[in-house]
Amino acid sequence: MTKKGIKHLAGRVGGIKNLILILLAALWLLTLLLDIFVVERIFTPLGYLYLALGIVFLLYVVWPLYTSRRLVRYYWQRVKRNRLAVVGLAFVLFLILLAVFGPLFTADPTAANFEEKNMPPVGLSIEESIYNAETGQFITKTITGTWEHPLGTDNKGRDLLAMLISGAGVSLQVGLLATGIAIALGTLIGVVSAYLGGKVDNILMRFTDIMMTFPFFLLLVFIVFIFGPNLAFIVLVIGLTGWTGVARLIRSETLSLRTREFILAAKALGASDGRIVLAHLIPNVISLIVVIATLSIPGVILAEAALSFIGLGDPAVTSWGMVLRAGQQSLDTTWWVAVAPGIMLFFTVLAFNFVGDGLRDAFDPRSSV
Amino acid sequence: MEKTWLRDYIIKRLFYALIIAWGVLTVTFILVRVGPTSPADKYLANLAARGEEPAQVIAAIEARYGLDKPLYEQYASYVGNLVRGDWGWSLSTSMPVIELIKTHWIYSFQLILLSTILAALVGILIGIYSAVRQYSKTDYIATFFSFIGISIPNFWLGVMLILLFSVQLGLFKTYYDTGVPLFSLANLKQLILPVITLGTGMMAGYTRYTRSAMLDNLRKDFVRTARAKGLPERVVIGKHVFRNAVLPLVTIIMFDLGSIVFGGAYLTEIVFGIPGLGRISFNAVFADDYAVVVAVTLISAFLVLLINLVTDIAYAYLDPRIRYD
Repeated sequence: MTKKGIKHLAGRVGGIKNLILILLAALWLLTLLLDIFVVERIFTPLGYLYLALGIVFLLYVVWPLYTSRRLVRYYWQRVKRNRLAVVGLAFVLFLILLAVFGPLFTADPTAANFEEKNMPPVGLSIEESIYNAETGQFITKTITGTWEHPLGTDNKGRDLLAMLISGAGVSLQVGLLATGIAIALGTLIGVVSAYLGGKVDNILMRFTDIMMTFPFFLLLVFIVFIFGPNLAFIVLVIGLTGWTGVARLIRSETLSLRTREFILAAKALGASDGRIVLAHLIPNVISLIVVIATLSIPGVILAEAALSFIGLGDPAVTSWGMVLRAGQQSLDTTWWVAVAPGIMLFFTVLAFNFVGDGLRDAFDPRSSV
Repeated sequence: MEKTWLRDYIIKRLFYALIIAWGVLTVTFILVRVGPTSPADKYLANLAARGEEPAQVIAAIEARYGLDKPLYEQYASYVGNLVRGDWGWSLSTSMPVIELIKTHWIYSFQLILLSTILAALVGILIGIYSAVRQYSKTDYIATFFSFIGISIPNFWLGVMLILLFSVQLGLFKTYYDTGVPLFSLANLKQLILPVITLGTGMMAGYTRYTRSAMLDNLRKDFVRTARAKGLPERVVIGKHVFRNAVLPLVTIIMFDLGSIVFGGAYLTEIVFGIPGLGRISFNAVFADDYAVVVAVTLISAFLVLLINLVTDIAYAYLDPRIRYD
């Protein structure tokens, strides 16, 4: 194909970036179909989600950030003035490093070892009465925490630190992937609904109303109950049910953009609907999308944690909710197992909330932060 | 003119509500039917353990629940039964689902009602105070705690409260006792921890909403006018600012009920063993009891629908501005 031909094609879908996106999406779909119908397992289900979101992330986050470095520096100056946001960001980065490199240094979080059960964190010691079969008596034994298990172990002798690090990975994966799906879907539905208006808008918004009527967590429980727990599936379900609020916000933002001069100008120049949506409307709601995305990550992480906490999480992975569940069942002995995952969850949620608030203030030209 | 407008609005809203209710039923039906296992399969696993002939049992169950009929007939009878009040049979408790719900709803209701009232009262008061004294020490402390309250996972808070007050200090029982009469001090006492668990997040949210709604209105021109007239500050804040801030606040509180509070109550009931609708749904999930899980999901969705409908209509009645939308 000639250079001119590519340019023409790119123009029709709103720029070379969207052309690449469409091509990669087609390739992705092809691989997925091949995987399902012809060969077995090219990637795992989570792998497909990573690939899909990675493509969108590269094209719509990394690329724009790279091409407009000056603007990025300007916004970073604004975010930097909000101390809490910087602290939050630092914690999120720490968590990512922990999740990526932590497992290299810790033991297997699922390995039970009854020789070393009920060990308290370093610096603490507990008394435990143990039944002695030979004498038929209870003897009191003092267990002191060791550096081998810095945060102690649970009632099956699993290392708490290793479980927390594994949980960090699960929470971040679920938080980022499910939010990515929800945001992509919500943006698409919101923009299309507002831009096309009329019947399409009516149908899409009534559908949004129907989905919003289900209490979010109960709907999750319902779906996981029917289809069974599996991490990739849980990510997908949270993504596919969590888009409603995003769609509403993006829709109302797009409605106010739709009648602005630059859209009318694009229309007057003969731009197609696809080009207007992809090249003009979506780039103008990007800052809103970034803020909503950051602020919806905590809800998603909590939803997954709550599911695992009530026993509906993926039994194959160790998540914070699952650790908390184990801790709750032996509160009177190994209380630290219940305390630790909650603290991690709490700080993670707090960090994302701080970052989201900081970004919102930075993007809002009216705020004088 | 005024009257017909409101009537038209209510009719329109009711019509929408009907569409949504139908949508909720249909989405639920589709989800159950596209699921990988039939309700019969799960029941079968139960029976097979007791040594009954699988094929016969499947056929019997499918005939009993109409699972052998074509899909559209199943759909019609599903909707018809629900409308007539036949919500199915709970396999794990051997009673009609509707009876199960009738005996258990009160436990969820008392928890949600007490938490909402407490959270709204305290949250709104703190929010007003923080807005009036913006940037004071109290305001910073309130903002700080509201951030904590919003970020704390409520099921973890519940476990921590049990650990501290029940296990370590022995002040409360670790489990909800259904033997206690509903309208008694002992029942109130055992609801203290659950209400704090559910109410903390709500309270933090309401504090923040109230603060920002009050601040928005404090900057308005009519406040300056009221002050210039020499009205006492108490009247300016209480009448002019608060009354304008309270309407959006009520909408948010109502909206939160559906999106956050029901899920929170579900988890709180599980943590404390309160036998409300959340707890029976939770038990049903692990007993593979389809009818109960479907019923609780549907009821919560219908409640949200009803609450939104009432809020919308009340809002239209109270706030003349939205009538021209």
